[in-house]
This record gives sequence, structure tokens and C-alpha cells, in this order.
Amino acid sequence: MKKFRFIVSVLLLLSVLLAACQGQGAAPAGEEPGQEVMEETGPFRVAVVMPSAINDLAFSQSMYDALVMIQVEMGGEDGMQFDYSDGMFVVDDAAAAIRDYASQGYDLVIAHGSQYGSSLQEIAPDFPETSFAWGTTAETFGIANIFAYEAASHQGGYVNGVIAASLSNSGILGVVGPIEVGDAKLYVDGFVAGAVATKPEIQVNVNYIGSFSDVALAAEAANTHVAAGADGLTGTAQMVVGAIGVAEESGGMWFGTQASQTELAPANVVANQVYRWDVVLNEIIDLIHGGTLGGQSFVIDLANGGEVIEFNEDYDLPADVKALAEATIAGIIDGSIDTGIGAPVEEMGEMAPEFEGGFRVAVVMPSAINDLAFSQSMYDALVMIQVEMGGEDGMQFDYSDGMFVVDDAAAAIRDYASQGYDLVIAHGSQYGSSLQEIAPDFPETSFAWGTTAETFGIANIFAYEAASHQGGYVNGVIAASLSNSGILGVVGPIEVGDAKLYVDGFVAGAVATKPEIQVNVNYIGSFSDVALAAEAANTHVAAGADGLTGTAQMVVGAIGVAEESGGMWFGTQASQTGLAPANVVANQVYHWEVVLKEIVQMIADGEFGGISFVIDLANGGEVMDFNPDYPLPADVLELAEATVKGIIDGSIKIDLGN
Amino acid sequence: MISELFSMTVLVGILASGIRLATPYLYAAIGETFGQRSGVLNLGIEGQMLLGAFAAFYVALTTGNLWLGVLAAMVVGALMGLAMSFVTINLQAEQGISGIGFYLFGLGLSDLLFQKMLGTVETVKGFPKLQIPFLSDIPVVGEIFFRQNVLVYFAFALVPLAWFILNKTTLGLKIRSVGENPEAADSLGVSVARIRYFTIILGGTLSGIAGASLSIALLNVFQQNMTSGLGFIAVALVYFGAWRPWGVLGGALLFSLVNSLQLWVQVLGIPIPSDIAVMMPYILTIFVLVITVSRVRPPSALTKVFEREG
Repeated sequence: MKKFRFIVSVLLLLSVLLAACQGQGAAPAGEEPGQEVMEETGPFRVAVVMPSAINDLAFSQSMYDALVMIQVEMGGEDGMQFDYSDGMFVVDDAAAAIRDYASQGYDLVIAHGSQYGSSLQEIAPDFPETSFAWGTTAETFGIANIFAYEAASHQGGYVNGVIAASLSNSGILGVVGPIEVGDAKLYVDGFVAGAVATKPEIQVNVNYIGSFSDVALAAEAANTHVAAGADGLTGTAQMVVGAIGVAEESGGMWFGTQASQTELAPANVVANQVYRWDVVLNEIIDLIHGGTLGGQSFVIDLANGGEVIEFNEDYDLPADVKALAEATIAGIIDGSIDTGIGAPVEEMGEMAPEFEGGFRVAVVMPSAINDLAFSQSMYDALVMIQVEMGGEDGMQFDYSDGMFVVDDAAAAIRDYASQGYDLVIAHGSQYGSSLQEIAPDFPETSFAWGTTAETFGIANIFAYEAASHQGGYVNGVIAASLSNSGILGVVGPIEVGDAKLYVDGFVAGAVATKPEIQVNVNYIGSFSDVALAAEAANTHVAAGADGLTGTAQMVVGAIGVAEESGGMWFGTQASQTGLAPANVVANQVYHWEVVLKEIVQMIADGEFGGISFVIDLANGGEVMDFNPDYPLPADVLELAEATVKGIIDGSIKIDLGN
Repeated sequence: MISELFSMTVLVGILASGIRLATPYLYAAIGETFGQRSGVLNLGIEGQMLLGAFAAFYVALTTGNLWLGVLAAMVVGALMGLAMSFVTINLQAEQGISGIGFYLFGLGLSDLLFQKMLGTVETVKGFPKLQIPFLSDIPVVGEIFFRQNVLVYFAFALVPLAWFILNKTTLGLKIRSVGENPEAADSLGVSVARIRYFTIILGGTLSGIAGASLSIALLNVFQQNMTSGLGFIAVALVYFGAWRPWGVLGGALLFSLVNSLQLWVQVLGIPIPSDIAVMMPYILTIFVLVITVSRVRPPSALTKVFEREG
């Protein structure tokens, strides 16, 4: 009986509490009658997922600052609450977080990163009561509860460029960007346009480092700019904090974007383009209150106050330059100044063929996608193609890496084919016979494999290979020119295919340059034995080699040895500069996207295979990437470039000696 | 060309390489020796090595403390050993199959962690070469033996230590009796399960260090599947060494020296096809195995599940 009374009183207490809560929620909901009333039971709740840290002084911070500002405007935590997940550079993790937030009943869930698009496209329809926003993009997928937002970052870039060109004494400026797409490309192009419009003779050196997070490489890129004579630097995305330090050290100027970076180098930052996402968020929140949950896209720019040029008060900016900058801002706002840069949206979309529901690619690779070699070269190409085809909406890809067991790979290939992918890539010559069995069972699916020229005469198999001897030859020419000991060492996996071709090319290039050179070649019999590759490199060093090269993913071990011994390293397949920045001279980098583009086009035209492709220096599928930090003598660089040209125009014939 | 093989540079090169290559084998194979002497075959050491290599690399990279890295590798290896013990002793699973399971687990998990936590191949400043005073100045010998990193010295010091433990201590006697005749050992009050737990966890710990010796001492990088079958060769070396630490040392050195010899053979341009050259250490290993295995007998209870009667 006691127990019963206890339960009853608890229930009573609970119901009183609940009633009180409901009363509270009803109070602020003063919408006009007849309109769809948002069911608010408290403050407006926002959740945001961001790719980097909230204090990155760049992209993520710009959104975080905006939310803090909105919260103040809406009367603190009682009016608006927000939660965030930052550092979500892994898209799958971000997708889980987005879904989780949506199921927790947030009013607005923001996916702050263009990489989150396709996840959002899947998640949003499951939560029709929740509003989603994402950027930077103009794409809402036509889904009723998705907003999109982007920045006209070229406008502030243009203003920064005008100021930089006006202040530069050396006439040289340097730019450090992440990847040549989207917001970053727009900003950089704007900066260049502004600088050139102000001083046509100005030289703007642009460096895209291929990463949003590699602070060390960004710093090195900035160092390179300074060494090349730049006295004004800028850059975009979160890794530029490394470059700002270099600007400070060298006493040069820095121009910021996305967020204010003044605090990092108060004496060097001249001006920042600061994003004010609160301008967009305010509109979105108003719309949500009015019952509209999505379907519109927004742009922040100088005119609507979503972009603000913030001058560093501590920087001694001459009055005439400041006046020019302000005139430029006014001109952009009133339209009298045309930056000459249009938003690059869908520019590529026209070039790339479109597939209903997106083009779906699956790839099976023998080693890790970040092996700095064979598998990575394919992964990077797929990422690039995806960007060109308009992100995850235009092209999706899945992969299985580390498939060094051929039977596992065969199972994966069959599985992908049966899931209806448009193109299944078997990236490894060891997968050939499996493919030969599987492909005929899926005549509607296109397959590609490499490196080989063999399509087995099967109508739905493409083949691709690399003329790896070409870059090998160039590396050999450079290595022979630079070697003091007259001895070079090569670490290869197995004496076949792509590896043999590269090695033979390297030897041919070295011997053609210095007939007396000694090139010691070592095949270690494995693609994965890092320890043996390192020992092979040690052996070369002990035998007197001062320049080393090698191919396939196990060479990461050999590169360490080159670094330790102070010798040179020549890379192939992917850029290996990051592993030994002081020792890598040059890399032959594969750009499989050259081939993939053709394959995609052919599939669009209804051809599923039967053709083989080659990447080489001439078609841009192979690119010589010189390490800017390596003090390569000018005459050797000239010789290397002449060699590249000679191979392309056919005046240099590579004699592989077999 | 062949005469060049006998020049001082080449001989020193072969021996110094051989010693470096032998290091991870020694840790892993000595650990496996303890396990097998107590009657447990652990085919999962490759997985333990990979996780150890990753743990050491990651901890060294983030904390800058190499010894903390080694400690992390030991802990991870020991945990893998603990799990293996539970599965083979308490659950009485088939040793070979569960070992393969643990190998695949280590391979997959180390790759997953690598992708999620590092994202790309990075380098770390590993253990430097430690020049032993005086000894490293001895011509030839100094260069071969006394200019290596600290984990190389420890690996070689492990051999007499393991021999001593196995042959001169009560613990060693218990391990051997559990591996030869667990029923008899049990009847004399030796806990078979406890001894086997000990040896498998010890083996896991040493495998962890074997991984660390690669990732933060010899190579100073981590890459997916970087052990590349090394752990399986270590298992073969235990058979090769007839379950004795000195035999394991001999096997590890022979295998490694032949491997470094074949590297030099190729460098010197001696006309042997590379495919044949890389087979040399394996051919030799099989050859020696055929000769030795017929003469020595494995621990009687190896791979056999022990169940108390009654």
C-alpha cells in the first residue's frame, strides 16, 4: 500500500512538471493563427558538423563564430542552443553524427562541408520535420528540407589582391591553397585577378598543396614563395596557419580569409576577408520559423554583409592604399568593378557526362589508399574525377583496399558487379584472371583493370597502363646529372610490368646522360616487405650509391634510408616528397583520371570495354613533380624539362635495351 | 663480379644488414618458442606484430616518447596474447584456426586505426643508432655489431635470457613439462592453464616489441600490412631452431644473412635472375628444415588441448 502511494505521488509530480514545461514552450510560440506552427518546446536548437576544429582560424571557425553571434542575438541559451561535432574529416563519421542530431529533434542541422552532400541527400528525406543546411554549394538537390549556402570568396580575394599588389615592393606575391576546387579556387582566382588588375606586371605564384590539413607542407610552400622573392602571402583553408608563421618570420605581409587571422601574426596580417555566416543563418532561421524548411540557396558576399573586409588596425596601412581598398569594395558592391570571376558551379558538369542517379564506381586495390604509391595514385584520381563530375551527386565511388589476397579481391569484384555499379576497377595486374572469369557474368557492367594492355577480347573490359619508363627516364637523367659517386641504386618489387618498365626507363635515362654511371638494381620479390626494401636501400648506400629510386608501396622503407644517409630519392606513382622533404628530388606522378575520364565518356556513349589506354607524359597522365624545396641546379632542371619535352615530341627515344 | 662479394665492404654490409633484418624475427620467434614449448602454437603473431607496430608508432608520434611507444606495443601485444589464451585455453578452440583469426583481426584493426588516426604514411624519429663506447670503434666488428639501435641489442640479449629461463629455472621446467606431458605436470600440481596463459601473453608482448622494432627503430614509418609475412616466418624459425633459443637465433641469422646476401648479389650485378635470388633464403630454409626436423621432435603436447580428467 505504501508502495502504491509512492508511485502515485511520483506520477503526480511528473505530470505537474510536464504541464509546466508545456506551458513554457507555448509562451514564445506566438505565430499568427492559420500558419503552420512550429512545435517548439524550448529554445531553437541547432546542431552543426564541421570538418576541422572550431578554432581553426578558417572554415570551421567562421561557422562557429556565426553560431555564437546568433545565439547572443537570440537571447542566449534560452533563445537558441547549439551543439557541434568538429574535426569530422571522415565523411562516414560525419554522416552518423548528422543522422544522430536529426533523430534527436534539432530544429536545424548544418553539414558544414561540401564533402557531406551525398550523406545529407540520403539522410534529409528520412527526417521531413527537420531542416538541414549545407555548404559551400548552391545545390539543394530539390529536397524540400535542405538549404544550401556558399560564399562569393573571390570578392574578398580580389580586394586582398588589390592591397597586396599595391604594397608589394618585390613585385612578387605567393598563394598557398589546398586543392584547386570550390571556395579555395574561387578565393585564389579572385586574389590573382585583383593583383593583376592593380599592377599588370605583378607576379603571383600559386601553390596548391593537395591537402586541407598538412600544416607542415603549407609552411614549406610559404617558405618556397619567400625564397622565390614574394613579400606578400595569402592562403585559404585551415592548414594555412603554418604559412602565416612563415610570413611572420620573413617579415612579409599576410592576407587572411574565412576568419580573422590577425592574432596569429599581429605585425604581418594586413587584412582579412571574414565570413559572416550569421547573415545566412538568420534568414534560414526566419524561414524555419515561417514553416519553410529548405529548398533555397544563399550566397554571402560583400554586398549583403556576409563577407567583411577587416583591416588589421595595428598594421600601418598607407592611407591611399586603404582608400583604394575601400573604393574597390564599394565598386564590387555597386557592380562597377567586375572581378572577372564567375562562380565555377557546374562549369565542369557540362564537360563530364551525366548519369541518371549518379555514376557509380567501385575499385579494388592491392594496398592502402594512402600507400604513397600505386593504390593512392588511383584513389587520388577517383577523388579528382568525383570533383569534376559535380561531387558525390554526379559520381560515387566505393573501394576495397589492402586486397593483396587475390581470392578476396575476386570476391569483392564479383560483389561490386552484382550490386550494379556502372564501373568496377580491378587495380592490379594480379587480378586479371579473376576478372576474365567474372566479367562475362555481368555483361551490363563495365570493368577496367591495369596495369596492362590486355582486354582478353572481352567486350566489357577496359585495360589501362602507364608508360612508366618515361618518368623513369627523366628521373634517371636527373639522378645521373646530380650523382657525385657515380653510383645509383634501385629498389623494385618483382621484375615485371609497371615496375620493370619504370626501372628500365630509369637505367636508360641515367646511362644516356652519363655512360659511365653504375646503376645497381635490386628486386626484393615483394610488394609489401617494407623491412626488406629498407635493407635493399641500405645495401645500395653501402655500395656507394648517393641517389636512390624505387617503385611500389614497400619503398616507404627505402625512402627513410635515403633520408638517413643524406642521399637523393626519386619517386614514382605518387608524390613521395612528404616523407623526406630534404631528399626527394622529383616524382613521376600518375594521373589516372586522364584514362578514367575517357572510360566514363565511353560508358556514357554505350561502350563497355574492349579498349586499352596508356597514360604518358604527352597526354598528361604522367606528370613530373619537382620538389620545390630541393635545391636543384638550374641547368639540371633545364635538362630535365628538355628531356620531358623531348620524350613528348618524340625527339628522345627511350632505349630499354630489351 | 663474384670476387667482389668477398670484399670487406660487401662482407660488412651483408653482416650488418643481416643483424638488422634478424631483429624482428628474434623477438617474435623467441616469444613463439615459449608458447610452443608450453604446447601452444600461436599463428597470430603477425597480427600482434602489426598492432604492436601501429601502437608504438602512434604513441611515439603523438607523445614524442619512444619508450612509451615500446610500452604501448607491449601492452597491445599482451592484450592480444590474453585474448588468444582465453580462446585456446578456456574455450579450447583449435589453435591453428584461432591463430589465423587473430592474425586477420590484427591486420584489419591496424589498418583501420592507421586510416582513421593517421590517414597517410608519416615518419617518426625512431631510436637512433647507439654507438657502444670502445666496441663500436673496433674495425669491421664494431661496424657490424655495435652501431645498431637499442632494440637490436635487446633482441640479441633476449636469446641467452630465454635459454636461461627455459633450461635453468623452475619456471622453464614447468613450461617444458606442460608442453611435453601436461597430465603429468598437472598431477604434480603445476597449473597447465596458468603456465600457458603466461607463455602466450609473454609471446604476445614480445611480438608487440617485434612490431615496434620495425615501426620506431628500423624503419620509422607505419604502413598497412608492413610486416608482410614476417610473423609467419618467425613461426617457421621456431621449428627451424628446434624449439631452442640458440637454434632460433641461428635460423634467424641464417635466413637474414642469406637475404642480405641476395640483395648484394643483385647490387653487384651477378647474373642470377632476381626471381631466383629472392627465393634463396626460402629455399635454404626449407632445405635446413628437412634436415633438422627429421632429427628433432616437437613438444609432444604441441597444439593439443589440455583437459583435466575427472
